[in-house]
Amino acid sequence: MSRIAMKVNGADITKDVADPTLLSEFLREHLGLTGTHVGCDTTQCGCCVVHLDGVSVKSCTVLVGQAAGHAVTTIEGLAEGGQLHPVQKAFRECHGLQCGFCTPGMIMAATELIATYPGTLNEHVVREEMEGNLCRCTGYHNIVRAILTAAEEMLGPDRVVQPASDHAKTEG
Amino acid sequence: MYPLVYHRPKTLAEAKELFGAGADATFLSGGHTLLPTMKQRLAAPSDVIDLTAIPEMRGIAVEARLLKIGAATTHAEVAESKIVRDAIPVLAGLAGSIGDRHVRHRGTIGGSTANNDPAADYPSAVLALGATIVTDRRRIAADDFFTGLYQTLREPGEIVTRIEFPIPDSACYAKFRSPASRYSIVGVFVARTGKNVRVAVTGAGASGVFRPAEFEAALSADFRPEAVAHCSVDPDSLLNDLNATGEYRAHLIRVLAGRAVAKPGALQSFK
Amino acid sequence: MLASLWNLVDHNTKDQFAPLQERIKLSLPPQKFKSVGKPVRRNEDERLITGRGRFTDDFSLPGQVFAVMVRSPHPHATIKGIDVSAALEMDGVLGVYTGADLAADGLGQIAHNPVPSTKYDVKLTGRGGTPVYIGEHYLLPMDRVRHVGEAVAMVVAETRQQAQAGAEAVMVDYDPLPWVADTTAATAPDAPRLWDALPDNVLVDSIFGDVKNTDTAFAGAAHVVSMRTHLGRVTGVPLEPRAALGDYDAKTGRYTLYAGSGGAVRQKHEMSSVLGVTPDKMRVISFDVGGNFGTRNRAFIEFGLVVWAAKKLGRPVKFRADRSESFLTDYQGRDLVTEVSLAIDANGKFLALRAHNLSNVGARCVSLSPLSKGSGLITGSYDIPYATLHSRAVYSNTMSTQAYRSSGRPEVTFAIERLIDKAARELGYDRIALRRRNLVKPSQMPYTNAVGSKYDSGEYEKNMDRLLEIGDFAGAKKRKEEAKARGKLLGIGFANYVESSIGTPKERADLIVRPGGVEVVIGTQPAGQGHETSFAQVTADLLGIAFEKVKITLGDTDVVSAGGGTHSGRSMRHASAVISLAVTDMIAKGKAIMAASLNIDPASVEFDDGCFRSTASNRTIDWFDLARLAIALSPDHADGVKVRRDNEMHTPVFPNGSCMCEIEIDPQTGGLELLRYATVDDVGRCINPMIVHGQTHGGIAQGVGQALWEGCVIDPESGQPLAAAFTDYGMPRFDNMPSFVTEIAEVISPTNPLGVKAGGEGGTTPAPAVIMSAIEDALLDYGPPDVSMPATPLKIWTAIHKGKSA
Repeated sequence: MSRIAMKVNGADITKDVADPTLLSEFLREHLGLTGTHVGCDTTQCGCCVVHLDGVSVKSCTVLVGQAAGHAVTTIEGLAEGGQLHPVQKAFRECHGLQCGFCTPGMIMAATELIATYPGTLNEHVVREEMEGNLCRCTGYHNIVRAILTAAEEMLGPDRVVQPASDHAKTEG
Repeated sequence: MYPLVYHRPKTLAEAKELFGAGADATFLSGGHTLLPTMKQRLAAPSDVIDLTAIPEMRGIAVEARLLKIGAATTHAEVAESKIVRDAIPVLAGLAGSIGDRHVRHRGTIGGSTANNDPAADYPSAVLALGATIVTDRRRIAADDFFTGLYQTLREPGEIVTRIEFPIPDSACYAKFRSPASRYSIVGVFVARTGKNVRVAVTGAGASGVFRPAEFEAALSADFRPEAVAHCSVDPDSLLNDLNATGEYRAHLIRVLAGRAVAKPGALQSFK
Repeated sequence: MLASLWNLVDHNTKDQFAPLQERIKLSLPPQKFKSVGKPVRRNEDERLITGRGRFTDDFSLPGQVFAVMVRSPHPHATIKGIDVSAALEMDGVLGVYTGADLAADGLGQIAHNPVPSTKYDVKLTGRGGTPVYIGEHYLLPMDRVRHVGEAVAMVVAETRQQAQAGAEAVMVDYDPLPWVADTTAATAPDAPRLWDALPDNVLVDSIFGDVKNTDTAFAGAAHVVSMRTHLGRVTGVPLEPRAALGDYDAKTGRYTLYAGSGGAVRQKHEMSSVLGVTPDKMRVISFDVGGNFGTRNRAFIEFGLVVWAAKKLGRPVKFRADRSESFLTDYQGRDLVTEVSLAIDANGKFLALRAHNLSNVGARCVSLSPLSKGSGLITGSYDIPYATLHSRAVYSNTMSTQAYRSSGRPEVTFAIERLIDKAARELGYDRIALRRRNLVKPSQMPYTNAVGSKYDSGEYEKNMDRLLEIGDFAGAKKRKEEAKARGKLLGIGFANYVESSIGTPKERADLIVRPGGVEVVIGTQPAGQGHETSFAQVTADLLGIAFEKVKITLGDTDVVSAGGGTHSGRSMRHASAVISLAVTDMIAKGKAIMAASLNIDPASVEFDDGCFRSTASNRTIDWFDLARLAIALSPDHADGVKVRRDNEMHTPVFPNGSCMCEIEIDPQTGGLELLRYATVDDVGRCINPMIVHGQTHGGIAQGVGQALWEGCVIDPESGQPLAAAFTDYGMPRFDNMPSFVTEIAEVISPTNPLGVKAGGEGGTTPAPAVIMSAIEDALLDYGPPDVSMPATPLKIWTAIHKGKSA
């Protein structure tokens, strides 16, 4: 058992926690932040991605002690002042989610990618950089569009190449 | 996960002391091999000693034609390092091709090298570049360091602190990824310094990373893709699993060696 | 009056289609729909994008404890004894339970009702018309284990770690038995037997179709082309691992089960029957469900175990599967072997088809839907006058199979479409022209196929032509040459499909109009399909109110009293039908309320465009005013004006479409890149195109996954499953999938009020066929390719390598 102090979504948190606790367990079971999901045991699915000092990590593969003293942002902390983050908005607008289970990890991964990628974002880059997140519902098509839509809002049109239009009737 | 005590020492001395005091202690760097193993209850260390807060485990520098990378440097840091890109560009490319983005933010060069997973990318670079593995107590040549599947010359309690890579004239890496695990089924790293060519193959060897002698001889004599067209590795010495037989891996070693040589300095990842 | 018409039409098999739409008058004609047909953004999303979803494992109850299963390492073994004493001594362990403990408490089996029984399902039987032998399925077996991963005991402890340690301490004395996992091998006379009461492992053995005329057609045919196909074993991999939280209230004697599924009402009945209590003693809560795809449509043993143990221990009990447990013990899919032959005349006209289908149900039979569904569709989109089908199902020492996304249809689509490609190749026909020659024509609709399935509507050739246009089939030849110049092999895959959507025939809707808005309570159970949005669109239009005013309530059996759940593409069709009927009832009720409230003649009240108008007083009120009037009128309406409507609808619909893809193979490595993927899908009336396109995308990925990467492989030496993690089980990922070009065709179905077919499974149905068709096209220069699914780089390289050396 150790006393763990860290910043979570901007708030200072101190808790006594058993050492073998994973960051994902700490968030879900000790802090009740159940938006961070766990979909596998082998660090593959990406449902548990959160930001650790602004960097995307798979929180199922971080001991809570490793995160102590650092700042964690989860899906619950992304919207600021009641305003959805552009990536959250774009996921809804582009139908980038279906069941929603992978979505928190997807959104956290995408926000970090957009915030830190130095070059031009296009479909190919997004597909390569996001490969650590699995989705079983969407076939990824609309997630790619959501990420590029948000990227354009956040970075401006010069940094983003949008994919070609894909179907005749989405706009009804 | 079994019960454990987590430690984050600030000095090497403290880390060594903690290791000595633990009943069955283990070191933790990025944790991206160790923690999944522990979660599956396949490892049950009494003490986990996190090495990432120790200053001498960090840093990237070039000194005397040697690229020195602290063991706790993450794959992402290596991939983005201008120093690495200038010194050995393909090493940055290789680091940027490991696992996925989030894994690269945590996994470290020291952890990957010390673990010697047969499918890991780094051991091929360490071996082909003839790097030196620096530990808290000695310097070990790459040729001696990797001793078998998940086996190295590292002794219990010995801490890999940095890797020193001699800077070659050119180096290149080509790999083919498993459709499921995304690890390399075969990765071929080729390094040339003067007339001397060293080749190391990861992902394929039944005993882990290895140097295919025939390929090195052929490329030392004639550094062109065509030179390896008739080189071979015994399929029986290679791993054989669901996604790749020994025969297929042997074939891929030849193809990827040729492709690597065709693009000096480049990282090529196929799937 | 509507109800009787409905029943008359729907149950009259002689004349089931044509009159229906004419006789069911919707409260608003489709051409006036405002919300239906629009890509309305989803009501579900706000909670899901902000981390406020309500998935099963997100629920925690005070004092909850944790359950871990002890699972069999053997594919087949007698359980000689289970020693729980060491486990009981472990720290934190509260209880260790075996099948004997359950039997002592009189727990029953899970009644899966695996034999499809709607009027339009083909009738599967055992050999010689005997009943299908269904082996038992208790929560924990007492006699033997029949597959690797089968649970034999449950440990409950204060923490999950303590329960895991306890599970490792349970000593099970197994006596290993011979085993069989392979589908065909399981039918061999000397194969190890799963069930003592079944003389061999074959539980279904039925013949359909016209044997005499089929034989005659084959005897006289100019050509006969045959092949054997196997769509292998895969698993659904919903990203939310299955989970269950059980609670028991000693005061009320009621159990509560939190468990994501495909239908809480079904689980409520199944679990109350297992526990031997009346259904009112069981509440099931299933809010957000992290993917289903069929895997969650049969009850898992853990569901019963956690509620039972909750009563036993007086503490809530939680279970959550690890991913490896999910890989081993989620209900799996496919695994159907087909031997199929096609008789063709000298002009390329199909004359007759003969097929033998063999379905591997695994160790326990939980569903025969995959076999049944496929059996009705073996002739595909083609006019083939005669067919015979021999349908069999077999037990094996593997996890049970269940209807997995588009159950049975990818299997038969694969058989007919790959066979047509083969026929075209061997007989020298253009593969498109050969299809065109034989497609069922719109003028033949409704079309009864050779095994009795009645296709409702569709324009199959038009789909195909439109697809060839949007997929730029004409440009493929040039792209092929360009690829060749780059040392790559480009292949074009093509397939048509028709599938059936049947599903549980009954559905219920409670429609409640309140001053602040309208609520619809319905018994479907989405796992990402957007029911809270599309059902609200339908309700809003039919009532004539704003979409934002409608709230859809799902998933808590204390609120949802009845309903058929979500499977087989049934939800939109059944929901729109029952909502249409409920709205009609509600309009009648509204007229009566207005009349009573204003003391006027009910006949003088008219309803149009969301408003009631009294022709006598010229007063107009909307739905929300009506609710206010009603509340003032009678305490019966204190919680709003309510209508409860049940509907029973058996007639199936037949979504259909065409699909093509383009792949490029690196012949030196066997690596494959999927470059283009295009579909045209006739889903009937499309309520929300954004959602339907999304369904198509996801469906494509799952079908492509089966063709290229996914497989629940079992080691032939040991019987051990080799794919128990994402490191072994290849998945569709961002970087191995292309963007899609998908188009919706709306050929209205005459079988239901809104003309809905289904949109959830069409993406999957043709995908394995179209991918393998493309691989074959790419490898034609290397001789007849022999690549099985999943077509991994190793297999492709091996085919090229063999072709070269041959």
